[in-house]
Amino acid sequence: MTPSIRTYAWSLLLTGVFMAAGSLTQARAAATPEAPADRERKLIAVLESDAGPAEKAITCKKLAVYGSAAAVPVLAPLLTHTDLSSWARIALEAIPGAAADEALRDAMGKVQGRLLVGVINSVGHRRDAKAVPALAKHLKDADSQVAEAAAAALGSIGGAEPAGILEQALATAPASVKGEVAGACVRCAERFLAEGKKAEAIRLYDLTRQASVPRQRVLEATRGAILARGAAGLPLLVEQLKSQDKATFGIGLRTARELAGPEVTQAVAAEMDRAPVDRQTLLVMVLADRGDATVLPTIRKAAQTGPKPMRLAAITALERMGVAAGVPVLLGITAEEDRELTQAAKAALVRLPGREVNAELMARLPDASGKSRRALIEVLGQRRVADALPAVLACMNDADAGIRSAALTTVGILGEEKQAVDLVALLEKAQTPRDREDIEKALLAITSRAGAKCLDALLPLVKNSNSELRMVGLHTLASVGGAQALAAVQGALQDKDEAVQDEAVRTLATWPGNWPEDTAVAEPLLALAKSGKKTSHQVLGLRGYLEYVQADKKLKDEDKVNRVRDLLPQITRPEEKRLAIAALGTAPTAASIEMVLAFANDNAVAEEACLALCTLAASDNLKGATKELRQNALQTAATKAKTGRTKRRAQEALNRLQ
Amino acid sequence: MKTVNSDTRNRSPRRRADQQPLTVNRRRFLKAAAQAAAFLAVPMVVPGAVVGRDGGVAPSERIVLGGVGIGNRGSYVLGCFLQQPDVRFAAIADVKEARRQAVKKRADAQYGNQDCAMYRDLREMLARQDIDAVLIATGPNWHAAASVLAANAGKDVYCEKPCTKNIAQSFALAETFRRTARVFQAGTQRRSLPNFVFAIELARQGKLGKLQSVHAHPAGLGTSMSGWLPAEPEPDKESVDWDLYLGPAAWRPFNRRLLDGFNFEKGGGLVGGGCLEWGSHCVDLCQWAADADATAPVEYEPKDGRLYARYASGVRLVVRDDGWLPLGSCPVRFEGSTGWVETGDNGDIMASSESLLVGKGAKIGGYPADFHVRDFLDCVKSRGQPRANAEVACWSHVTCHAANIALFLNRKVNYDPAKNEFIGDDEANRLRSEALREPWRI
Repeated sequence: MTPSIRTYAWSLLLTGVFMAAGSLTQARAAATPEAPADRERKLIAVLESDAGPAEKAITCKKLAVYGSAAAVPVLAPLLTHTDLSSWARIALEAIPGAAADEALRDAMGKVQGRLLVGVINSVGHRRDAKAVPALAKHLKDADSQVAEAAAAALGSIGGAEPAGILEQALATAPASVKGEVAGACVRCAERFLAEGKKAEAIRLYDLTRQASVPRQRVLEATRGAILARGAAGLPLLVEQLKSQDKATFGIGLRTARELAGPEVTQAVAAEMDRAPVDRQTLLVMVLADRGDATVLPTIRKAAQTGPKPMRLAAITALERMGVAAGVPVLLGITAEEDRELTQAAKAALVRLPGREVNAELMARLPDASGKSRRALIEVLGQRRVADALPAVLACMNDADAGIRSAALTTVGILGEEKQAVDLVALLEKAQTPRDREDIEKALLAITSRAGAKCLDALLPLVKNSNSELRMVGLHTLASVGGAQALAAVQGALQDKDEAVQDEAVRTLATWPGNWPEDTAVAEPLLALAKSGKKTSHQVLGLRGYLEYVQADKKLKDEDKVNRVRDLLPQITRPEEKRLAIAALGTAPTAASIEMVLAFANDNAVAEEACLALCTLAASDNLKGATKELRQNALQTAATKAKTGRTKRRAQEALNRLQ
Repeated sequence: MKTVNSDTRNRSPRRRADQQPLTVNRRRFLKAAAQAAAFLAVPMVVPGAVVGRDGGVAPSERIVLGGVGIGNRGSYVLGCFLQQPDVRFAAIADVKEARRQAVKKRADAQYGNQDCAMYRDLREMLARQDIDAVLIATGPNWHAAASVLAANAGKDVYCEKPCTKNIAQSFALAETFRRTARVFQAGTQRRSLPNFVFAIELARQGKLGKLQSVHAHPAGLGTSMSGWLPAEPEPDKESVDWDLYLGPAAWRPFNRRLLDGFNFEKGGGLVGGGCLEWGSHCVDLCQWAADADATAPVEYEPKDGRLYARYASGVRLVVRDDGWLPLGSCPVRFEGSTGWVETGDNGDIMASSESLLVGKGAKIGGYPADFHVRDFLDCVKSRGQPRANAEVACWSHVTCHAANIALFLNRKVNYDPAKNEFIGDDEANRLRSEALREPWRI
């Protein structure tokens, strides 16, 4: 942003440039600041000139910022102008001082219909108390839109006189205007309350809620009447909460969250006891939002017994209240059979804030058993309670398979390289496939976080006498990446066990490369593609290599094309052809287009080829391609593509090219 | 949601090839970020059975929804609503006939009937007593005015962003929804997305040390204007109702180039624009992170192509287009005395230290609105306050508008949030509001 954005914006306007919607003005050159009086004088001159309405309109907008009483005489006449009245009001609403008020008041006697509505709206916005008599007159206007505007303006101005006028209209106004009158009464009452005039506010709220006015007005007046009364509003609140009407009950729910005081909490709790289940669930959420600890026993009880929806709501409430005192109940629920309840309780335990919750959970671990013990371990992991790691490590050897599994998951979350050593040792002793699988997952979680720091623990695995453990070694080394890990996995290509060899190939083919960091995997992949021991090794090598070619950003476009070209004899199946097309699609050269054109003749991959042709031929970075080649590519895509979308894309690019 | 640690062999790391390490080892963070179980950072939602959305919803307990101005973005959000079992979409109000027809076709196809009613004038639809809530996805010109109309008609509102055109509208929105006790949810769905929530929790829970600065991407800091273009023949009202399209915006003749509702009159057509476009998301998230959901910065200064603001707490807000990590659109960054975190729409989170990312939930890329829509619907039933309620939306928009005023005036401005006043600054104060075209008012 250079210093002149405002000046530039104005200069565009002043020169009468018509701006398109959303056109962006950018500062481009510094300009000398103009004296305020000079600036206003020039703007006034525009309004006095024969300038067109567009220029006058924008000038009004500028006067909203820079105009003074001096501008009012040229703005006021525009209030009667159908097209420019709204622009003039933008200025007159903003210009401070009595002159603008007077102009708007005067205009109330000169205009009718919509223009009058607009002027009255501006009078209301400025809260011009001197306009009250005129507004009172317009409140009885036969044009209901004018009468409604007058009511709204009186409500905005507020105070005893407007309130009195509105109160009268509440009884006498036609039905079409009553809603607006009632809304204005509520706003007047709000203003009374803000000014400390509580009795006046309550009186007006009560009059409104008891009047024959639209339902929404009754509801908001009722809310106001309750809140204005404070503690004395409790009976009225309870009345709403007891109502069989959904909207009335709804206003009770909202207001019960707003009205302060412990007696309110107790009243809501009492109402909850009496209410049917569907309402209990909503009331317990009100209690949660009130955050009053005195109702904890009620909520804890609701979480433990009763209908399921109510219990779920109470669990949510315990979570929202966020106190450690909810832990025992929630933990107890985790041991139950109902999956929805146990999941909700676990989620609440995970989310409950505070270190005291961590301490409470850890303190309960030694004595917990069964499902609760398992849940505790899971929750400690989810909460990332690092201090719990020693206790959880001990659970990895628990007799209960479920607890072992949970412990391994948590160790995976909390563990560091030291635990990788422990897990490798444990792997050797694993009794069941499930244990081994869990250990491998935990190991992967740690190794992919801790990276090369785990290499010392992992490298011996690929030399283990057990071929299954050697395969775990391959997976975990792959999650670490880097030269040492790659060398170890390459070494496994010569493993004595064919299954391990296969796994090494698979690992290399999906090497979690972080191109260009791990581009070294390209060499063994190419070797596999060209001379793998088995066809499956060659195919996997080829696929991995083509993915590498596509992803390595350090490879020059020409090199990518050449590498794909070298392997063309082996690229015979649609699966590999698609990968080749994808690789070529990242290298915008004439040679790429020519090779992809050849693929477009293969029905099995024609769509992918045509898409790539669209991208390549339309690329701004395309190197060495003639216009004819581009046209040929796009024409081919438009002709051979399978989908209408690709055909259209090709045709549009072709049109642009021509 | 598949997490990486479930099987490293099945990863597709090459898809991340365009995301190069910057100031930290990206690879390490990506791996760490993918470790944790999914639900920790997923926003808390009320269990389905609590608010009756578990399939056992009686027709009388369904939320009857209407739409106002459903275009591109609205169409996506409408899809999120239509997926909810307790929603019945009943009517569309749009000034454009083609859009009315398109929405009706979609709703009728969903329900296998012809019941979706069409209205040119939103007031007719809002007068229906059976409609509980409305999705407002017009252009920003109409957002606040339509929301207030809807609240006054007794409807709950999910409204796309930016929700207001100026500071005055922001306060009017909050006051209206407070007074009417209607539920309002701004369409700032990132408030309900796990990666943003996680990053914000780091900032709010002190895990970055004492919070020092929050950074928001604005999608440009220019000021956009909606002008008065040469008159063109006005289409018939049924096809496009130009008068209703203009709505609260000052009058100008019909010109089809102004029919791009997405940009028309954004920020009042004079001082809106970029900072509002993404600011209503990113600044909003910064407000939350800075524990400033009920206030706004006290000073704003455009400098070196950025906007620097400062909260009374001392936390700085930096609104900038430059210097972001490659984390997708709408990024935010929070910096504390001991660490920083940054995230964006691709769902990844980067941080100054690996340990900060422990506990992050599953990655959700893009910016789905499902969680946010669900939060709104649950609150329609419970009458609680959703995440991006009117009060929250008010202050995040006030901050964006105040920033835009500083940008427009191209100088520092000081703002008093308690008084809603720019201190000793008549020019800035006059830019707080703008008259609405007749007959509209807020």
